[in-house]
Amino acid sequence: MYEFILPNAWLIPALPFLAFALIGLFLHRWPKVSAGLSIFAIAAAFILSLPIAAAVFAEEGGAVFEFSTRWLSMPGLNIDMGLLLDPLTAVMLIVVTSIASLVQIYSLGYMKGDPGIASYYSYQSLFAASMLGLVVANNFGQMFVFWELVGICSYFLIGFWFGKESAKNAAIKAFVTNRVGDFGFLLGILFLQIIFGTLNFAGLSQEMAGYTNMAVLIPVAVLLFFGPMGKSAQFPLHVWLPDAMEGPTPVSALIHAATMVAAGVYLVARAFFIFSSVPQAMTFIAVIGGITAIFAATIAITQNDIKRILAYSTLSQLGYMMMAMGVGAMTAGMFHLMTHAFFKSLLFLGAGSVIVAMHEEQDIWKMGNLYKKMPITTWTFVIGALSLCGIPPLAGFWSKDEILLAAYASGNTGLYVLGALVAFLTAFYMFRLIFVAFFGSNTYGQEKAHENSGVMTIPLIILAIAAVFAGFVNSPLMHHAFGHFVNNPAGIQPEPSTAIMISSTLIALAGIILAWVIYQKKLISHEALRDKYSVIYNLLKNKYYVDELYARLGDIFVFGAARAMFWFDIHVVNGLVNGIAFLTGKSGDVLRYTEDGQVQSYALYMVAGIMILVVVATIAAVSVIV
Amino acid sequence: MLTNYPALGIFFLITIAFPVTAMGLAWLFRPKPKAAPDDEKFTTYECGVNTQGKTWIRFKVNYFLYALVFLAFDVEIVFLYPWAVKFGVLGPFAFIEMIIFIAILLIGLWYAWKEGALEWY
Amino acid sequence: MDISLLLTEIMVALLGLLVLVLGLALPARGKTVVNRFALLGMIAILAYSITAFSQKASFFNGVYQIDMFGSYFKLLFLSAGILVMLMAGKYISRFEEKSSEFYGLMILATLGMMLMSSAGEFITLYVGLELMTISFYILTAYLQNDKLSAEAGLKYLILGAVSSAILLFGISLVYAMTGTTMFTEIAAAFTMQPALLAGVVLIIAGFAFKISVVPFHMWTPDIYQGAPIPITTYLSVGSKAAGFAALVRVFMVAINGADASFDWSMLLAILAALTIIIGNLIALSQKDVKRLLAYSSIAQAGYILVGVVAANSFGLKGVLFYAMIYVFANTGAFAVATAVEVDTGKTGIEAFAGLSKRSPMLAAIMTICMLSLAGIPPMAGFAGKFYLFAGAVQNGYLWLAVIGLIMSMVSVYYYLGVSKAMYIGENENDSPVLTTGGSTVALWICVLATILLGVYPGPLSELAGYAIQILM
Repeated sequence: MYEFILPNAWLIPALPFLAFALIGLFLHRWPKVSAGLSIFAIAAAFILSLPIAAAVFAEEGGAVFEFSTRWLSMPGLNIDMGLLLDPLTAVMLIVVTSIASLVQIYSLGYMKGDPGIASYYSYQSLFAASMLGLVVANNFGQMFVFWELVGICSYFLIGFWFGKESAKNAAIKAFVTNRVGDFGFLLGILFLQIIFGTLNFAGLSQEMAGYTNMAVLIPVAVLLFFGPMGKSAQFPLHVWLPDAMEGPTPVSALIHAATMVAAGVYLVARAFFIFSSVPQAMTFIAVIGGITAIFAATIAITQNDIKRILAYSTLSQLGYMMMAMGVGAMTAGMFHLMTHAFFKSLLFLGAGSVIVAMHEEQDIWKMGNLYKKMPITTWTFVIGALSLCGIPPLAGFWSKDEILLAAYASGNTGLYVLGALVAFLTAFYMFRLIFVAFFGSNTYGQEKAHENSGVMTIPLIILAIAAVFAGFVNSPLMHHAFGHFVNNPAGIQPEPSTAIMISSTLIALAGIILAWVIYQKKLISHEALRDKYSVIYNLLKNKYYVDELYARLGDIFVFGAARAMFWFDIHVVNGLVNGIAFLTGKSGDVLRYTEDGQVQSYALYMVAGIMILVVVATIAAVSVIV
Repeated sequence: MLTNYPALGIFFLITIAFPVTAMGLAWLFRPKPKAAPDDEKFTTYECGVNTQGKTWIRFKVNYFLYALVFLAFDVEIVFLYPWAVKFGVLGPFAFIEMIIFIAILLIGLWYAWKEGALEWY
Repeated sequence: MDISLLLTEIMVALLGLLVLVLGLALPARGKTVVNRFALLGMIAILAYSITAFSQKASFFNGVYQIDMFGSYFKLLFLSAGILVMLMAGKYISRFEEKSSEFYGLMILATLGMMLMSSAGEFITLYVGLELMTISFYILTAYLQNDKLSAEAGLKYLILGAVSSAILLFGISLVYAMTGTTMFTEIAAAFTMQPALLAGVVLIIAGFAFKISVVPFHMWTPDIYQGAPIPITTYLSVGSKAAGFAALVRVFMVAINGADASFDWSMLLAILAALTIIIGNLIALSQKDVKRLLAYSSIAQAGYILVGVVAANSFGLKGVLFYAMIYVFANTGAFAVATAVEVDTGKTGIEAFAGLSKRSPMLAAIMTICMLSLAGIPPMAGFAGKFYLFAGAVQNGYLWLAVIGLIMSMVSVYYYLGVSKAMYIGENENDSPVLTTGGSTVALWICVLATILLGVYPGPLSELAGYAIQILM
């Protein structure tokens, strides 16, 4: 079994790709067949991932398999393509295929009646193929190709309802912001190729070992980190992710919460050997991650749109993961990536279930008392939220605890305090959402609310189970099994501390209780609070005016430069270009008349050509001889 | 070695000089009319018998077809002669080759026949 | 001497004769069977020739060479022939009861190409060349009631005869000065004499006619426009590749490096530059897609010639690689043009207007094939041009590579002109353009090969690498 599947792991991305191609080319007229094929392909990919994970985890410390084949060969440049199967890959394979399968099944219910179901599933399949390709890549070049492909899929899916102006703009914003990050990323990759002559992860890791020129490594590492900053929406390139919620909710769950945005974290983990050898870059990552975490958590408190709250929560959690990476806790970061993928996709799918039930209503203040009408959605959502807040023994508790522990153990007390504050805020805004939307007294739109069908609730239940139990794999109860496989010699893995566990639980509980006091019992009026601190409220409500700042800066620099360029373009470049084009076209017109259709003149040209050639050759030869 | 080539160069010059000289002399000695030439000057043949009918007359395509078929078999004979003379030396391999050759030509003949190239009509 | 090594050629010859004979023997209605038989036969021979790829032998004291170089081009000719037969499906209904001869002549032309690519001396080469060319004379004039076709046939006959005479004159001069027609012996007996130089120039001119290099290109547009489109396609991909196969072998074995004191590649470089520039410039002002493709094929010949100029492993690999991908890209473009011509009876750019709405697939395939011809990644044309120009740069012909790149950019203009008509243009007729099963298959093969070989050029370039080892 292993002998077959390991070298043929390329089948995992290939199956969804095949589904994409078949749907795009032939099956798009039959939406049901398209959806079925897409789900079948991703489910098959999931099943194929299992033996790979089994093979990788069969060995103490994790086995590593690498297969590669020459893609392009020329003097001085060999480009390979290949598969790298190690514990990191195995974890990502399982996470991506399982969540993608559930989301695609869920979409059957969510997208019901949409005219574009076939193209939706073809994009979903293409995304799954690209994401899996990214995960199994064994070198930066191949990874970059898939990196761009997931970006394109994200663009298609955000703008899926392209009739909506806001969806179109959000798609463009996401794409452009990502391009900014990817430009730096590409530069970093090119530098690696120039300096080390290879892009293979294993090869680079060997080359890096003896390399100490920090003046070169620092910029390379920072440039490389630009990619994750764009893709994982780290400050200051975070602006696209909240807007990306214009896409269908299952897309938000899969792409903008669980998998694609985690690709940046995965990249940092994959290239950990580079970052960990550059302390300055590590500090940079940790600080960016910390800023993103607190920044987004504060904004989330003031948002009213159910999906936007979750989006800012995602931002904040991604910042958490980056912070973990930055303080050297690669294991904790990857662990949190995995648990977060489960509970955040659960939360998004739950939100989607609410949105369907409320007929496209997304404002939490227009919901209330949903727990009576939608018990399954409500309770799975609460499980997800508890997991996110880090209440023991749910999955989020174990992973979040490890990050806080790592921040504390690495000596970055500032980051630890920041992390604890974020944990408090997270608990607060999540339960603000729950108390208002699910248990609030508002009965607006109640009569139409209803529980959704099985295709939507069963994925919720499965994910809820995962959100409860996924954390045990790296808990002391299972002797930190996860950490034995997914780790890096350069990373840290501190001993668990009971004090941290208890304190972080208490912090989360405090947040929940505060939310309960304000929004459920209404002992403190939230309107009064808002009016009292209106400056802060407005600052947060308007997302620190970052979008406006970018718009203004863009207006001054980009459009100012654009206007100058435009003038130059119109008056100087265009004149030049049009002149050349005119000359080129004219010369074609003139030369055309040599073609007069007369055989005699054709023969004449031929003979004249030969005469000239003979004379030229003879003169050249005579000059050689004499 | 290059000494072999002056003759070629002189020949080349003469080929250019000859038509130039001939036409130049004709231009020099011809009568130079004051007025435009009369219609007679533009006919194909200024003297002799006038042509009758069109020059683009049709004639039987069968001439061509016969010529082509004849040519094919003429070439066949050219190959058969040396083979027949050296038959004893060449042995069975050449014999089989020649049979194939003749067979191919026979197919050609059959084709010509079937397509009506041998009919005279 | 093991005759079985010649099996590919023997089978092609037998198939050609058999198709002719069956066409004669069967009644008019049975001729579609003959056409199927011809196609299946070609496919079977292609399958056999793949298994025979690595055979190596020398026949009749080196007169005929079986090697991987020849095998590579045999694969190319057979694939091109099969694609053309597939796409011709609907078109040949115009030939009425003459369709089986059409196939027979095509197969015999293929045989001629094979002889050219494997010939080890000039007389054999010439026989192969004439077999191919005479078949094409007939095929070009095959539309009996079409004036353009008849004119094209006659022009091709006259100019082809002139070029044959030029080639023969060159061969006789070379024979006179070296006393042999064998390539390897010519290389040994090569001396710097004006008569020998003139002979070589004449030979190059003879090949230049076949591959339509400026200034020997004048026949191309008229013949391409007049000939039945399948034959135009076969002329542009098959006959041209055969010319290149022969040119590369003659150039590498007999001429280049025989006497290092004279730089033959400079002569070819000038021709290549002229061809690229003039082919692309005239294509800019064409309004008929067939003529446009004709000029584009002139320019493409110029690009391939760059690889011969380079004459190193990179450039020659590029020649073989590009010749193969050119088969797919060009056949794809011509197949779409055929479908449009069958549907509308016209080939002007206006006939393609609005094609994206009528048949999105045809428009997409046309665009992909044209982008490949223009050398835009990730189509195969990019990889091919990369090899060719990299080879030229390596051999010190930076200026030639620069000309090639600039003119490739110019070419994008006229290729996209057709795409613009297909995607932006309006057409009152919005019924889909119908394609038969065969041409649909051909279109798919072309477009898939164009994309796949662009994304993953490794295997084919390795194959080309093996093929040129014999010349290095």
